[in-house]
Parts: sequence; structure tokens; C-alpha cells
Amino acid sequence: MSSTTAAAEKLLLQMVDDYTAREIAPEDMPMDAAGDFPAGFMQKLTDTGFLGLMLPQEFGGAGFGPEVTATALNHIARGNASTAVTLEGHFKTIDQILKFGTPALQQQLLPSANDRIFAFSMTEASGGSNPMGISSTATREGDHWVITGDKIMITNGGLAQVYCVLVKTAPQELSVFVVDQDMPGFSFGKREDFIGLRGTPVGEIVMDHIVVDDDHLLGKLGDGGMIGDSAHDDARILMGAVLTGIMEHDLKIATDYAKERKAGDKPLTELQVTHRKVADIAMRKETTKLLYQRAAQLKAAGQPYSEEAAMAKAHGSRSAVSAGDDTLQILAGYGYSREYPVEHLIRDARAMEIAEGTVEKMRSAIATAEFSK
Amino acid sequence: MKIVVCIKQVPETNDVTIDPVTHNLDRRGLAGVMNPFDKNAVEQALQLKDTDSDAEVVLLSMGPDDYAESLREGMAMGADAGVLLSDRAFAGADTLATGYVIAQAIKQIGDVDLVLFGRQAVDADTGQVGPIVAEFLHQPQITYAASLRLSGANEVTAERLLEDTKQTLVATLPAVVSVRSELNTPRYPTPRNIQLSFAKPLTIWHHDDLDLDDSRLGQAGSPTIVTKVYAPEPVKRELTPLTGTPTEAASQLIKALKTRQLI
Repeated sequence: MSSTTAAAEKLLLQMVDDYTAREIAPEDMPMDAAGDFPAGFMQKLTDTGFLGLMLPQEFGGAGFGPEVTATALNHIARGNASTAVTLEGHFKTIDQILKFGTPALQQQLLPSANDRIFAFSMTEASGGSNPMGISSTATREGDHWVITGDKIMITNGGLAQVYCVLVKTAPQELSVFVVDQDMPGFSFGKREDFIGLRGTPVGEIVMDHIVVDDDHLLGKLGDGGMIGDSAHDDARILMGAVLTGIMEHDLKIATDYAKERKAGDKPLTELQVTHRKVADIAMRKETTKLLYQRAAQLKAAGQPYSEEAAMAKAHGSRSAVSAGDDTLQILAGYGYSREYPVEHLIRDARAMEIAEGTVEKMRSAIATAEFSK
Repeated sequence: MKIVVCIKQVPETNDVTIDPVTHNLDRRGLAGVMNPFDKNAVEQALQLKDTDSDAEVVLLSMGPDDYAESLREGMAMGADAGVLLSDRAFAGADTLATGYVIAQAIKQIGDVDLVLFGRQAVDADTGQVGPIVAEFLHQPQITYAASLRLSGANEVTAERLLEDTKQTLVATLPAVVSVRSELNTPRYPTPRNIQLSFAKPLTIWHHDDLDLDDSRLGQAGSPTIVTKVYAPEPVKRELTPLTGTPTEAASQLIKALKTRQLI
């Protein structure tokens, strides 16, 4: 890494920490309570240039690489995991357009990614982890494609303005098209009322005969499964980073409390039971951090990173739920109270045992990769 | 219009130590950040630039090479260029010797219309360098500005906020102004501007790059002598509880005050 790159990354993380402390972290508890982000919050995030953090400079972005992008989300998640996940959904979608979009499509869409949120949608009522179970279709009519279907549980669904959608272009053929909320036939549906990551909008889009040209196809016909896997891989690195941030938040709460609280006449810091819990939280946090950083390094180096990304998310999500549980136990009644953030950190972490592929699916992917060696 | 903003890099922590020989703050090895008050000065300069596309904002700092980080941060906020004054000969300078070198650098930058400072640095808290620079430059100065605007082709108007007084002052340009944090909320450097800031010029001037009188430099050129730095010992007071009914307690209090000849 050049000294200029290192200096720029240091300055970026300094800005991210400053912005998180002043603007993002204070909204964490209110966002969880309201199930939404406050008015003006997303606009300020946009105005401060966060949406273009990893977008190449030729499209008006900052062009930061995979490693520091993941680290930035790690730092944001220390104060507010929902905001970090909103950015994760946006960044993974940009990544797919960069990987699979034609130069013309990139030029058409990506400059607006500095101001508009992008989303990647695969799940339907008839299929989540099983992409072949989806019902949405794109059918050829003359020179155009006509897209019809209903996508649910989309990270940033309802907030995003541009969507990559997985559809069937033949009974056994999956493809990805890019649609825009301004296109005729596009509408928003139900917004989910999830128990965690409540500041991240998750919702439904309805596509009723949306007409697009060939240039809105991502990759080639039949590439849908591969592009979906790629989107999952990129998302899983960033989720490992978010989970690390959640555990760093847990660790700070647990250690701050243990330093002040006494059990009888002994500070909690002198009790072996506290040592064990704090050590476990710290080890889970550190191993998840190493995993996501390893996956991001491989990605930056142009090497395969699918297995490592799956490890980061599978290990990180269970670890963060356990870390939250240990933190809650250290704080006891205060940990169980909604007045403190511990219980919502558990709910936030729990989402990532499901989103971007269940942990069960992660383990299958990891095991399959190991069998093939 | 050319605006120079003088900024200082200060330790990120309050946990600083005192050099046992010089009795000055020992900043070695501490991570540094831009002095928070200086960000208000940078923001003010950038707001003037926002309304005048021909305006140029140059950041100026004095210190070791790693002070370039704060200059770069200010350039990522939007400043056009940075100048760092770095030389062993400048080390150990008090506010007078610092002000002298900064004033000489401002003369060398040339054609500067407005020099801005933050109210004071949070590490040494003197607030002296701005006024000293104004004196060396023989320019009008306004300190503690809580608002600042160009009020004519060749003048600025500032509202000076003191403890219990507000003054409205007008100064002809060129002038030196130090600003309070009430003036504005500094902007964040955007990720893209952070990257682009590395293409902006950052110049390091050493001793031989400036026209300097060596007798005014560094510790030898500093008339300030710090003889001792210490934290005051907490005063231990004896407490005498007042007992009994309120009337009895009041009697005890009056008696105690009379005994000490306080009433």
C-alpha cells in the first residue's frame, strides 16, 4: 500500500469515527424505538458523501478499496448497526454493476449512486435461499424485456431508488435486470416490521410489466445465479465487519459496566465469571474481525474469497448473538431493559444469521468448498 | 481574495506529560488531530470561498512533518493548498517565536488579504499567536469573532463576543481575525474530497526557505521561561456538622462565624 493510500485511509476512518460519534450513534436507540431513521438523517449521510465511499472516482465516488470500506462499516456499526447495513446493501449492489454491467450501463447508472441508494433483490414469497423457487419473470416482447413479479424482504426496499432484480428468463434460467423506481409499472409494497436492525428499511417491490431494454441486463442471460452468489459474497464480507462493530459495542458496554459495578464488596472486574464472559466476547470479536479482513484482502487482491466471506458471516453472526447474550448477563437487569442498548444489539446481530444466506447455507458452502480441495 | 488559515495539530488525548527539562508540553509520540477551534477558522474561510469562486484558501502550520496530517484534513474539507513550516531550528518556540516564523511565512506566501486563527489551541490554551502575528504583520486584528463577513471591497465586519460584552468591529483588509466556535459548524471532509486532497499541493518550508532572523527562533528566541508546571494540591477542609434543631444549628453557625471573625 502506498503512503498516500494509507494516509487517505487513516483520514477516512478518522472522519468516519467523528461522523459516527456525532451524527450516527446518537440516533441508534431512537431508530430502534421508532423502527425508522429520523427525517434528514439519510440526506445528511448522502451529502457527506458516504454513498460514494467505494464507488470508483470515474463515477464521482471516492474509490476506496474493499478493505477500508469494510473497516469503515465496522466503525459505523460500533455506534449504529442499522446504518452500516443500509450502506452494506448499497455497496454490494454497486459492486455487482461494476462487475457485470456493461460500460454503457455503468455510465448511465453509477454516477447517481452518489445520491441514490441501490438495492439487490432476490427473495420472494416462494423462494429465498432457493433461487430457483422464484416466480418473477422477464419475458421477451419485440426488442424489449417485460418484467413482472414481486420481491420481498429487500434490504433498503422502499428507500432505494435503483434495484437489481433476480428473475427467470426461462423455466430453468435465472438472470438479473436493473430497474428504477421511476419506471412505469414499478411500485412499493409492504414494509417489514422486523425485530432487529430496525433503522434499516426492509420492504417489498412490485413489478407490473416493467419494460426495459437489453442494456438493463446485468451480465448475460443465465448469469443470475452466479451474480446472486457474487452479491452474497460481497455482502457477507461487509456483514462480518458490521458484526465486528456490534461486538466492539458489546465489549465496551460490558467492560465499562464491570469497572463500575460491584457484587457485594468486589468489583465485577475481579470475578472470574466476568473474566470468562469478557474474554469470550473479545475472542469472538477478534476472530470475526480477522475473518472479514482476510476475505476483504483476498477480494482486493483479485483472489477467490467466497469461502472466507461465508466464514466471516457465519462465525460472526452466531458470535455476535452470543457476545450480546454474555453482555446482557454481565449487566443483568440493566441488560434486559430496553433503556440500555444491549438487548437491541442481540436483535440486530440475530438478523445476520438469516440475511444474505442463512448460517446453515453458509456452513454448506464452507463444507462444499472444503470437500472440493 | 487570498485567505491564510493558521492551524495547529494538538494531541488527541488530554493525557499529556511535561518535559522535565524545558517544562513544556511533551507532545512526542502522541497521535495528533487538528485543533478543534481551528476547524471553525477553516470553515469560515471555506464559506467565504463558497461565495467567491476566485478565493484561494491556504492552510499554514508549524511543527514536525506529521503535522501534514492536519493540513491534509483541512485540504479535504476544501482548502486549496497547505504549507508546513518544519525545521529543528523552530523547535521549542514560545508563542512569540512561533508568531514570528508564521508572520514571515505569511509575508512569503504574499498578497494575503485575510489571516484566520482559531480562538486558541486546546493544548496550551494561550490564544496569543494570532495577535502576535497581527503585530508582526502590522495589520489590524479582531479576536474572539463570533461572526464574520465581508462588508465592503476592502473590509471585514465581525461581532466580537467577550464574556459579558458584544462588540461589532470593522477592520480594513489585510487583517488578522481569530474566531470562536460559535461562528459555525465545521463541515466534514467527504470521502471523495479526502482522496482528491492528495492531489493538492502541500509544501514544506524549512529554515532556509524563509527570510528569518535566527535570534528570534526556537527556544533561544523565546523570552518565555516556564519555571514550573504543576497541578494545584486540593485544599483539605475540616467539616463541622451542625446538629440539633434548625434553631440550634443556626446558633452554632453564627457562633462559628463569629469565632472566625467572619461576621
